[in-house]
Amino acid sequence: MRILIADDDALSRRLLERTLERVGYEVTAVENGRLAVEQLSRPDGPRLALLDWVMPELDGPGVCKAIRQNQERQAYVYMVLLTSKESKEDIVTGLESGADDYLTKPFNADELKARLRTGERILLLEGRLVEAREMMRFKATHDALTSIWNRGVILDLLGRELARSQRETGCTIVLLSDVDHFKSVNDTYGHPVGDEVLQEVARRLLLAIRSYDFVGRYGGEEFLLVLNNCNPESAEVRGEEIRKAVSTRPIQTTAGALQVTLSAGLLLSNDWGIRPVEELLFEVDAALYAAKSAGRDCIRIARPNVPAHNSPVPEGESVHRLR
Amino acid sequence: MEKTKSCSPGTRVDLAELLIRLDDDRELLRDLVTIFRDDFPRLSGALQQAVECQDMKKVSVLSHTLKGMLANLAVSRAASAAAQLEQMALAGAAVPVEEAFRAFALEVDGLLTEMETYVAVVRP
Repeated sequence: MRILIADDDALSRRLLERTLERVGYEVTAVENGRLAVEQLSRPDGPRLALLDWVMPELDGPGVCKAIRQNQERQAYVYMVLLTSKESKEDIVTGLESGADDYLTKPFNADELKARLRTGERILLLEGRLVEAREMMRFKATHDALTSIWNRGVILDLLGRELARSQRETGCTIVLLSDVDHFKSVNDTYGHPVGDEVLQEVARRLLLAIRSYDFVGRYGGEEFLLVLNNCNPESAEVRGEEIRKAVSTRPIQTTAGALQVTLSAGLLLSNDWGIRPVEELLFEVDAALYAAKSAGRDCIRIARPNVPAHNSPVPEGESVHRLR
Repeated sequence: MEKTKSCSPGTRVDLAELLIRLDDDRELLRDLVTIFRDDFPRLSGALQQAVECQDMKKVSVLSHTLKGMLANLAVSRAASAAAQLEQMALAGAAVPVEEAFRAFALEVDGLLTEMETYVAVVRP
């Protein structure tokens, strides 16, 4: 485990360094409080620290305060103050500054090691708690089968991106896609094979979009894609690329290779101006329905009957809805 | 209570205690003495100057550093003298500080030479 030693006395640093290296710590030693804060604030910095009280630039309690102020943004750092100050007032001051423990100089090596082991146990426990919290956070935001965003999150992201497009006068593409004849996959090969198909479709959709686009599972076999900062001129081409990313080659399942296609409704935010998310979802769903009606394995674009308030349609250009 | 019982008469360093503290690591002892040889004259010189200038803040900081260094090397009486000097400096009275410094100077007189001899004695 990595540990930071901060002490302005070179002799004390060397003594601590050797004592801790002998028991397997990977030691970083610095000579003042400012350097200690720098080291401990790094994302990959040590999470265990032995700090002298009296140091140039910033003292030990000052280091503790600085680290605790930023604690929410970084992993917990277990800090032990090591000093020759030993009055009750000093101990209270040290602990109030955010130190976890306190040892007086000259230190007893066995006591020092035992106290550091306590610190390690606390860090281990903290690590497990963070891991559990992250797992719960993932489960709350991702679809259990496909590991892409779940419905709640993709709708939030859609709302956020539409608002951003409005602010920045950009264009967001909303693509609602549906796996064609998915029910027959389930009925013919069983639900486990249907699940394999959905997982692979999700994977292919993820690969087809840019890192800053979003894809989420909207319903059973429906996927909602939110593509940011798009050029409206190439929207249809982008939609086709994504559709073909799924249907170009068969999906390998335990029941064999299955040819799967997608139908999709596509909507460009700048065609619609300021509208509620629910209304846009209704429109893109209608376009998806139109694609299904047109024989599936295709895309239909949702166009408004009246132009959007903020994107006037040039004279002579036709605006129509595909349903 | 001062741990001087294992010091030989006329010596300042409790070598037995120091070797226990270092887990009998002779190489480390040599490292520490080397650091001591480099740092101690500089620190004690700065301390003397601070006492002469009656810079109490500096006296307290330097005597605090020396106290830690000497305690780490099991030089208990000198560490206590440094602690006394630190307290006097924190209290801010010039005359007791000068007296405390003289007591400290007596305790560390010849210490460097003594430390050097231990390095020779404990050579593996």
